[in-house]
Amino acid sequence: MNERDHVGENAALYALGALDEFTQSAVDAHAAGCAACSRLLGAAEDDVARMAAAEPRHQPPGAMVRRLRPNLPAAHAGLLSWGAFAAALLLAILPSAYFWQENQAMRAAMTARTDAMSRLAGTSVRSATFTAMNGGASARVMYAPDGSWYVVLVRGAEGALDVAWMHDGRRTMLGTVQPYGDVAMLYLPKSHRMDQLALVEGPRVVAEAQLAYESK
Amino acid sequence: MLDPGDDDTLAAAFAARERWAFDEAYRRYAPSLYSAAYNVLGNAEDAADCVQDALTRVWRSPHAYRRERGLVRSFLVVCVRNEAISRRRSQLRRQHLEARLAAEPQEHEVLRAGDPIERDRLRAALAKLPPQQRVPLELAYYEGKTHAEISDELREPLGTVKSRIAAGLRKLAAALDTATP
Repeated sequence: MNERDHVGENAALYALGALDEFTQSAVDAHAAGCAACSRLLGAAEDDVARMAAAEPRHQPPGAMVRRLRPNLPAAHAGLLSWGAFAAALLLAILPSAYFWQENQAMRAAMTARTDAMSRLAGTSVRSATFTAMNGGASARVMYAPDGSWYVVLVRGAEGALDVAWMHDGRRTMLGTVQPYGDVAMLYLPKSHRMDQLALVEGPRVVAEAQLAYESK
Repeated sequence: MLDPGDDDTLAAAFAARERWAFDEAYRRYAPSLYSAAYNVLGNAEDAADCVQDALTRVWRSPHAYRRERGLVRSFLVVCVRNEAISRRRSQLRRQHLEARLAAEPQEHEVLRAGDPIERDRLRAALAKLPPQQRVPLELAYYEGKTHAEISDELREPLGTVKSRIAAGLRKLAAALDTATP
């Protein structure tokens, strides 16, 4: 094909990586100016992304993250300072804390993280529990008093759950909780306070949490 | 009010090439992108390089992504996979030139999924496909072969292979949707 041709069945081949480089470039060039073919490519890309999601997950090395970091603008670099450090510690620690009551084997891991916990002791953390969920699942949100970050933890959910911010009669989707072992989690760096969060399964709200703050 | 955490907001900003959207997409999807590269290349350093190069290319291409394309995550996963497949093809070409390396077969982590539920769903969905669609689809996805190579290997016309792969992918997606709990 050349870049004047519509993508057609090449959409699937493109998404699977089965085109030669010349044809792939022609698809890219055509899609840049064609909304219909962009939609077609997007649908095929969704299918392939789902296949990819079924493959093994690997944690990216820190070096990969650091390589892109110098390109971040200053405003973002600020977010990556203490706040991000504390949040990263939380991401490492909170799932363990969540398991702790039921799994005594986690004690050793918790002890090993005492230093990190002591750092967090100086950071005020609030939490709220989501209303009871079906099927024995439970969920809570931990958040910064100034609304700068939120961590949503869900245990025992059977399907994928999205997190939404309920405000002004609207629902703003924030993301999907990601599984970490038996606990699914979503970390949300934010710059504003959110008073009400919901867990959403498909079109349905399955649980809500009210978040309280001290007045500014 | 726009919320950067919203997928639509992110997609619109990504299409408009707003820098924060690129950073946010990277923050959200880096593990998925790295995994997509690693599962093709099987090497941590190559995978990290691949993600870096693919994202740099996306950022430098003014029209790479437009809103109609849909989910930014899917777009980026495919960008990274395609870059990884291209690298692996280059590696294989080099290996063919250096015949002594032929004794070191490439390993594929086929269906050794991190999420057993997703793995089982994918396996079941693939098994439902007729062989004439499943085989070329697997050769494309898991072995990174081009449709021309698949056509040669299966001794089928190029157009037939193309149609079967496209039909197979559509059916696979439909089967995965049906199997969604």
